[in-house]
Amino acid sequence: MLQMWLGGIEGLLQVRELAFLGLGMFIGLFFGAIPGLGGAAALALLMPLTYGLEPFSALALSGGVMGGVPMGGSITAILLNTPGSAPNAATAIDGYPLAQQGKAGMAIGAAASANAIGGIIGTVSVLAILPIAKDIVLLFGPPEFFLLAMLGLVIVSTTSRGKLLRGLITGAFGLMVAFIGYNDVSGGERFTYGIEYLWDGVHLVPALIGLFAVAEMINLYVKGGSVSNNPASVKITSMTSGLLETFRHWPTVIRGSLIGTVVGAVPGVGGVVASFLSYSMTVQAAKESEKDSFGKGNIKGVIAPEAAINAKDCSALIPTLAFGIPGGVEMAVFMGILIVHGMQPGPLMLVDHQVEIYGLIWALTASCVLASFVGLLLVRPLARVTLLDSQILVPLVLCVAFAGSYAIDMTIENVVITAIFGVIGYLMIRFDYPRLTIVIALVLGASAERNFHQTMLMSDGQWAIYIVRPICLLLLAGIVILLALPIARGVSQQIAGAKPSAQGG
Amino acid sequence: MKQLLGTPVSDYIPALGLLVLTILYLATAYNYAPDARAVPAGVAWVMLVLGILDLISRTRTKAGTVLMHWLNPAGDADKMAEHKRYPALKQIGAVLWVAGFAAAMVLVGILYAVPLYVFASLYVRGRRPLLLALGVSAAATAMIWLLFVAVLGLELYPGVLFSEF
Repeated sequence: MLQMWLGGIEGLLQVRELAFLGLGMFIGLFFGAIPGLGGAAALALLMPLTYGLEPFSALALSGGVMGGVPMGGSITAILLNTPGSAPNAATAIDGYPLAQQGKAGMAIGAAASANAIGGIIGTVSVLAILPIAKDIVLLFGPPEFFLLAMLGLVIVSTTSRGKLLRGLITGAFGLMVAFIGYNDVSGGERFTYGIEYLWDGVHLVPALIGLFAVAEMINLYVKGGSVSNNPASVKITSMTSGLLETFRHWPTVIRGSLIGTVVGAVPGVGGVVASFLSYSMTVQAAKESEKDSFGKGNIKGVIAPEAAINAKDCSALIPTLAFGIPGGVEMAVFMGILIVHGMQPGPLMLVDHQVEIYGLIWALTASCVLASFVGLLLVRPLARVTLLDSQILVPLVLCVAFAGSYAIDMTIENVVITAIFGVIGYLMIRFDYPRLTIVIALVLGASAERNFHQTMLMSDGQWAIYIVRPICLLLLAGIVILLALPIARGVSQQIAGAKPSAQGG
Repeated sequence: MKQLLGTPVSDYIPALGLLVLTILYLATAYNYAPDARAVPAGVAWVMLVLGILDLISRTRTKAGTVLMHWLNPAGDADKMAEHKRYPALKQIGAVLWVAGFAAAMVLVGILYAVPLYVFASLYVRGRRPLLLALGVSAAATAMIWLLFVAVLGLELYPGVLFSEF
């Protein structure tokens, strides 16, 4: 095994491979920073360009891209509340308020170090897990995948502190939207109302650009001024303070990295779930007195998703390489690059291309660390963006967001979807509905339905299957407890509040 | 402002809107085969229940207060006070500017819509100096062209009005 690890390092430590790694990292940073593009678009656009490359060079380039994207995405998420890629939306929840408070430098410093550490922890986990990956993934069947999706929704709903009902409502709304399009189960289309574009469902990335980028821009239009609440106070706080914050909150980094690793190893779940779940768990684990500060600029809210995103990128390689099941959209595109270079993802790949696999893992890790340093170098010029007059900033961001939305698959309908979800997102801000749950629902909706139907087929329609399987039972218990806790808290607070008033009366 | 059960009528709009949407969704779902509608209809029924709870929780009745306290303690209507400071017309205007930009992209294409929108947004809406508006709109168009056409080699949408079909 050690020989393979060293073989991977040796293969990467060539001038040409390092050059491709660096190039990929810059491309990743660039694509990650532009809303709507992200790693999948970068890899898809690069795919034809890798034809003439050696497999190892192509892997170095791809690893560089995948490692660079999260850092690029976190910069715009923090400064503009415009996540470059979908998973960075979780970073924006606390990163953007920090930028508004004039702490953009600290937030990006923390994001960079969490990114790097998350990547390293993810790599260590992958190196440990890869040999036993098969056993872990095989423990989960359709019932477990279905309940895992429901648990994800409930966790995120309860994270919207004090808004359980509205969190569940937006989750249900997200699921309703996710069911639009072609239905794998019965073979027909649903809820498309004759619109051909909707046969593929509501495309996730345009919807997310709308929910986060466009909605915030409408909000900024309404409020006026600049991104920063107090332009005079915006200064780049010492980036080292951000770096130190990450080390100060090491349990958050470890937790986020482990969540990212576990979620990444589950096929089809992806970075959005990893980052939001990590964020949610961090809120859950926080002290009662601290919980209210989340969403208003808590540095842990930046560290947790950033650590998870990079750790997820590493562990998403497990199902992709070992089973040929992509961990997410980015990995699905990456599989295309592997196939182009004669490496068929699947169990045999772990036998035939071990050196290349470890080379890729090292490339991804090196890119995560490198991108964090380069990202830090770009903080000062980029942080000045927060001082821009909203009358100038809003049109510029909207231009990139809408053009980026179109560029995903050159479909103008994406622009319409982005605009519609922009308005929905603004209404959610305006009427105080959390946007977190809708994201998870959009991501997991289709697969949850598929897994539900498969479960029903497996059990001949018997719902008991959800309680006779041990992992299902655990997941179900988690759902019930998470739903009951906030209600129980509300009831007990009301009783406690009623007693003194009764005594006083 | 008109009130219903102690709450301004406008505060019921989101919950009512979602309920109407859900009923339409349910009605559509029941046009599909049982297998195809099972999960969507199930979710929609849950949504209907949640929507009704949301509606009740917005009233200033005893049941509404209890529900709000149990299920939505941070979702009090007062929390939305910040946005209430902004006139409704201003908010509708902001939404219309974005919708107008999207419509312009569809109609005249990205390369014409970008300078038009940026210029109009700065000069007409923002009342910024003419030269600044011209400069920023030219820079925005150049940025979009460089990024998407020159660097990525993509063909930008020409617009319905200028398409061959």
